[in-house]
Amino acid sequence: MAKRILITDDALFMRVTLKNILTANGYEVVGEAANGVESVNLYKSLKPDIVTMDITMPEMDGISALKEIRAFDPGASVVMCTAMGQKNMVVEAIQAGAKDFIVKPFQPDRVLEAMTKAA
Amino acid sequence: MKVQYVSPFAEASSSVFHTLIQVVPERGALSARPQIFTSQQINIVCGITGAIEGVVIYGMSMTTADKIASKMIGQPVITFDQLAASAIAELGNMISGNSMSLLAGAGYECDITPPTIIRGTNVKVTTLDIPALVIPLNLPDLGTFEINVSLQERRRAAA
Repeated sequence: MAKRILITDDALFMRVTLKNILTANGYEVVGEAANGVESVNLYKSLKPDIVTMDITMPEMDGISALKEIRAFDPGASVVMCTAMGQKNMVVEAIQAGAKDFIVKPFQPDRVLEAMTKAA
Repeated sequence: MKVQYVSPFAEASSSVFHTLIQVVPERGALSARPQIFTSQQINIVCGITGAIEGVVIYGMSMTTADKIASKMIGQPVITFDQLAASAIAELGNMISGNSMSLLAGAGYECDITPPTIIRGTNVKVTTLDIPALVIPLNLPDLGTFEINVSLQERRRAAA
């Protein structure tokens, strides 16, 4: 069965790009969130297999959303996907339970590799 | 404003343009700009907070924005719609985000705000008391992409 993915990014362009890559490679995109609050709410209602998570977003940033999702479901698979690649950001995300950390801009193969790792 | 704050943005732009749309920018000469300057047709405004703070504005013509967005989306942009605006905003976000990694490597830990797009010429942009340094990038076949960096070291609170 196709893995069910929830995409989180405030940029419509990034949501469309990620959705195209994932659906073309056999994944099912079950939801799209434009900020951390939406992502946490959609996680609870959709129970996706994997979440992609931007960091810089309005309302609630991706690190806070990652922590809330992991508090709700300690087994949640969340992959960070952000332009912010500095070391302290990566360390904080991994310590908070992120499965992988993709730095934008990325090649489609990098996204698919992260999905395999997170599954 | 220190010139060393500017180089990370030029360096990050080159790598982002190359990875994202396979374009190698040619860097033009750095120049200073007064605190008040006139906007370009499309401007991406990105706030920077942390060890250094201020604003970075990426400016370009409508034609250049259309061409860049078309390459990012993978199909021609007929009207500069929400998807095209989002692509251009994300370009600013990627360049700023990658610049933050380079600045962190130089000892300046900073964060960025989500980008805002301002459309329309003749908008007077004021960076208050921080003068802007400008680096023009020539993108072959696409036009000029201008980076206005207006940053200063965070003032320490009085004891």
